[in-house]
Order: sequence, then structure tokens, then C-alpha cells
Amino acid sequence: MSKIGLVIRREYYERVRKRSFLVTTLLTPLLMVALIVGVGWMSTKGSSEAKIIEVVDASGLVADRLESVGTITYRPSTRSLDEIRADHGGTWGALVIGADILTRSDDVQLYTWSSSTLETEMAIARAISDILENEKLKTYDIENLDRILADVRTSVTLKAFKVDGESGEEKESSSALSMILAYAFGFIMYMFVLLYGVQVMQGVIEEKNSKVLEVVVSSVRPFELMMGKIVGIACVAVTQFAIWVAVLAVGGMVAVNAFVPADLMSAAQGMAGTGVAGMTPEMMAAAGGNFDPDRVVALGSLMDAGYLGRMLAVFVVYFAGGYLLYAAAFAAVGSAVDNVQDSQQFQMPVTLPIIFGMIGMISAMNDPNGALAFWLSIIPFTSPMVMVARIPYGVPGWELALSVALLVAAFVVMVWLAGKIYRVGIFMYGKKPGFRELAKWITYR
Amino acid sequence: MSEIIRTENVVKQFGSHRALDEVSISIPRGSVYGLLGPNGAGKTTLIRIINRITAPDSGRVMFDGRPLQADDVARIGYLPEERGLYKKMKVGEQVLYFAGLKGLSRHDATRRAREWFTRLGIEGWWNKRVEELSKGMAQKVQFVTTVMHRPELLIFDEPFSGFDPLNAEILKNEMLRLRNDGATIIFSTHNMASVEEVCSHITLINRGRAVVGGTLEEVRAQFGSVEERVVVRQSMSMNEIFIKAVSES
Repeated sequence: MSKIGLVIRREYYERVRKRSFLVTTLLTPLLMVALIVGVGWMSTKGSSEAKIIEVVDASGLVADRLESVGTITYRPSTRSLDEIRADHGGTWGALVIGADILTRSDDVQLYTWSSSTLETEMAIARAISDILENEKLKTYDIENLDRILADVRTSVTLKAFKVDGESGEEKESSSALSMILAYAFGFIMYMFVLLYGVQVMQGVIEEKNSKVLEVVVSSVRPFELMMGKIVGIACVAVTQFAIWVAVLAVGGMVAVNAFVPADLMSAAQGMAGTGVAGMTPEMMAAAGGNFDPDRVVALGSLMDAGYLGRMLAVFVVYFAGGYLLYAAAFAAVGSAVDNVQDSQQFQMPVTLPIIFGMIGMISAMNDPNGALAFWLSIIPFTSPMVMVARIPYGVPGWELALSVALLVAAFVVMVWLAGKIYRVGIFMYGKKPGFRELAKWITYR
Repeated sequence: MSEIIRTENVVKQFGSHRALDEVSISIPRGSVYGLLGPNGAGKTTLIRIINRITAPDSGRVMFDGRPLQADDVARIGYLPEERGLYKKMKVGEQVLYFAGLKGLSRHDATRRAREWFTRLGIEGWWNKRVEELSKGMAQKVQFVTTVMHRPELLIFDEPFSGFDPLNAEILKNEMLRLRNDGATIIFSTHNMASVEEVCSHITLINRGRAVVGGTLEEVRAQFGSVEERVVVRQSMSMNEIFIKAVSES
């Protein structure tokens, strides 16, 4: 095995064999699922508390027509507010409606014995508004009013198509899925670049501290050692990512089989069969049946191996480029200092663009083709995070090519610079260098 | 006697500090070559240049009669003054890793490592982590990593520091055995008694310059004054030569 191969192997095995790697790799997806399920469960749990509201209605128009919705139960009352306040056992609150509610729509008061929420208040107000609107319509003496009202009630479902500027092809697109993918890709990129970049730095500092470097460097060129460490840790990241993708795929399949109705499933499968791009609006309508088309598109896209494969390919390319760029910078930082505390000063200029990329990623999700998203996805330091967040929405080929080319150029320059600093830095002990000193090291022979 | 290493006018500059100034030394094959000098004289820099860890600004290093090349490091073994092993790594894995970096196959490395472990009485440590070892124990492991690939040139920088007298003796005998098997040894130390005991040649470096060099006898002849030799019939000790040479240069 070549020397750099040995270095890569050591860096990889030393990390993958650690118990902490196994634990974080397996626990992270579990924690994420637990978090999502837990938050979901708690949000349903939170509102499942029954809210019984006594309604004191002086107008006589509202109380009998209020329909209990969800956790809110209305109970028309004959008692006065004072009586209810004196004895409100078992109720959540009292709703008082004025006699002239039709003309004075602000004459409604809600009294609660525990704290109320905006959501509940809005639901109550909406319910009363609906009743009053119907009541007012009735005063116009329109024939068949109920039928007309039922007839005009409409719910719009929007199908979104993205027209490819070059081929003119129509693509069914799911904004919800794009957003989820953008967020997932951007966030994982951010996490991996930062987490594993810092691991490279810590690895270098550890080698420097344990004085093992001098022995290693008497057998391996410093540049080979640095690259071996960077690539070895990248392999750890890829392993972890692959395990997560596998866990997600299996978990996703189980979830789909358990929770997705069979006919929605077959609709999505029909779509995945022809490919997202090949689906015409008519086919969509036929296949989608009475389901929310966005859900069909989202599910179909997820089952379309080509679509997911393209997303993953772009992710891997940007991960490789972004990671190399930042890991090299982190390696240079690690070589320049004696301990992690001292590294803060040099870490700043390295982590700042990563955090900036994270902010750019969020703006890219809201406005994928805006000027900020465009520029941040072209500039190499932020492009890994921002471009992977734009990709699910579709990015013109030339932008992608330009962005990748710049990223490659940037990491080549960064690896070269880092190699120069590393080579000198690893033998500098004691004195903490300044930026000017680092610049000087680059010119050393 | 042919030479294994020759440095020709080697210069190394760090910023405004000239660490090595036109250093030319010649190390004969089969010798135990003492590299002496006060702290900060430039010994470690010279050793690093011979190891190809750093490159000289000017001048060159000849190895076996031709310019030193990258592949030659497989024929050199280096025990640096600042000992270092990967703390979390197991002893056996570590030894095999370093042997691999020097070009040894895993199979050969395992066999030789077992031999060395038996010889030094450390067979039981194979699966221990380095952080579990005492300093002296770690030094033995480090010694094995230095000599495993049977280098023609061995460089020991303060090899006895950190060893108790018993283990220092074991180590010294292993060094001499390696020399008898044909290896050349560069030996850097401040311990003048051990220099007199094992070295055949020395060079004294002070402030980046090689100030004295040659066989022990030549150096003694250069420094021991006539009267002393006549009256006491005894040459100066290495310690005295060291102090005299440094203060005069």
C-alpha cells in the first residue's frame, strides 16, 4: 500500500472503530426521528385538552349554531356571567355575546380561567363570523340560499409545473419536497463541513501535541500526511452519510408502507415509472385521482431513483469540494497552533464563511433564484451550502458548471496554501504566530 | 572507509536566524557518529535535513555517494528527541503502521516486530494502548519503530533520556549490536560519558557552524595540550573539550 494509502487507512480505522462513532452514527437519526415524532406528539397532546366553553348569548342568534370543533366544545348557557364566574367547575371559559351582535360585531367577550391561546381565540372568532355572515345573507331573502352557499364553497388545489428554459419540457414540481430536500441537504452539508473540518484540525493539533509528527514526517512528506488525514476523515464522513441514507431509505419504506394509502401509492408509483419529467398534466390527473397532487408529486419524486440519484450526485460533488476547501484551511489552522484554545483566533476566518453559507442557504430556500442565492451559490466558500439548497428547485446548467469550476479552483489553491503553512507550522512550538507570520511561512522553501 | 552521508555547505535560515551556516560533515559507514553541541546549536535542524523533513536553503546532502532522494528515507531510522506515538493506538498496530510507512510489508513487519518485542521483553504489550504505558515503556516501543525496517543509517537524538540505568544499558547494547550488524549511527546527546563510550567520530556544532570534527583521537589530539599529556598522561575528557570548544568558537 502506498504511504498516503496507509495514512488514509489509519485515520479512517482509528475513527470508525471508536465506540463514539458507532453511537453518534446510530443515535443521530434516532434522535432526529424522536425529535420530530416527539414534537408532533406533544403538539397534538397540547391541544387535545378539552375546552368546554359556556356561551351566554343575549342575541339568541349564535349559541345554538356554534358547532364544536376539535377540542373546543360550546355549551349554550342560561346562567349569567356572574353566576358562571362564581361556579365554573368543569368549563374552560365563558363566551359572552351582546344582544346587538349583528350590528355591533365587537361586542363579544371571552373569559377564561386558565391562559388562552391565539389559535383558540381565532377559531372562536372565525366560527362566530361565519354564523353572522350567514345570518346577514339571510336578510337579503335569497331563494335556495343554503344550496347556493354549498355550491359556491370552493377549495383550490394548485399544481405547479416548472418549464425548462432550454428544452421547453414541463416538469411537475413539488415545492414542499424541494424545500425539505433543500433544507436537509444544506443543513447536512453545513454540519459535515464544520464537524469534520474541525476534526481535521483537532487531529493535526493532537499529532503536534503528542510529538508524533516528527517521526511520521521522517517517513512521509508533510503534504501526503495532510492529504491522507483529510481524505481519511472524508471517508469517515461518507461512511456516516451512507449509513444515514440507508437507515432513512429503510425507515422511509417502512413508513410509506405503513401510513400511505394504497391508491395514493399506486398513483405515485405510476409517476415514478414514467419519471417526474415524463408526466403530463393529464396523466397526473388520471393517476392522482382525488389526492392532493403535491403529495403525489412529492412521493413520486422520492421513488424516482433518477431524481434522487441526481440530487445525491450533486450533493456528493459539493461535499467533496466544500469539505476539501475547508478541511485544508482547518489543517493549516491546526498546524499553526499548539492547542485548541489558541486556535480560536484562526478559526474565525474559516468558520465565518461557513456560517454565512448557512444564512445564504435559508435565503436560497425562500428565493432560490434571487440575487443573493445566485451569488452565494457561485462564490466557492458559500457555494457548497447554498447550491445544494438551490438544486432541488432546479438550477441552469451553466450556473452549476461555473460554480463547480470555481469551487475546484478554490480548493486547489487552498490545499496548496494549507500545505505550505502546514509544512512549517507543524514544527513551530511555543510562540503563537500572527497572520503576518503565516503569510511568511508560505514563502519558505 | 566509505561514507554514507556527506553534507556539503548546508545552509538553513529561519527568518533572520541562521540555524545552519555552511555545515559540511562526512559520516563514515559503520561509525557511531556523535553530533554534539549546546542547546539551540542547530543539531536538530541538521538531523531534520538529513531525514528530508526540511530542505536546506543551499548546499546539498549526499547519501551513499549520490544526492539524497525521497526514497532514501526508507533506509534511515530516526528516533527524535521529542518522543511521540499515537496515544490512542494499540502498540502492535502502531509499530506495523510505522513499518508500513517505511515500506515494510505487513507480513514481514509482524514477524520482525514479534522478534523485537521478545528480545526487549515486551511481548505482552501488543494490544495495549500507548496511553497505558509508562514513559520508559513507550520509549522501548519507539525504539522498535525506529529500527524495525533495518535501516542502514540510524539517527538517535538523546536516546537514553527517560530510561533507567538498566534499560539504558540494554538500549546501548542493542545500538552497538546494530552497529556490529553493519548500521551507521548518528548519535546526538549531551551526555559526554556515553559519547566517549560508544562514539568513533564526533562533530561539535555551535551557533550553526561545525567547529570541531573527526575521530575521537583526532579531536583529543587537537584539544589536549602537550603539557597535560606529558605530565598527566591523560587527554582531556570529552566534557572539557566540549566546554573549551564552545567557549572558543
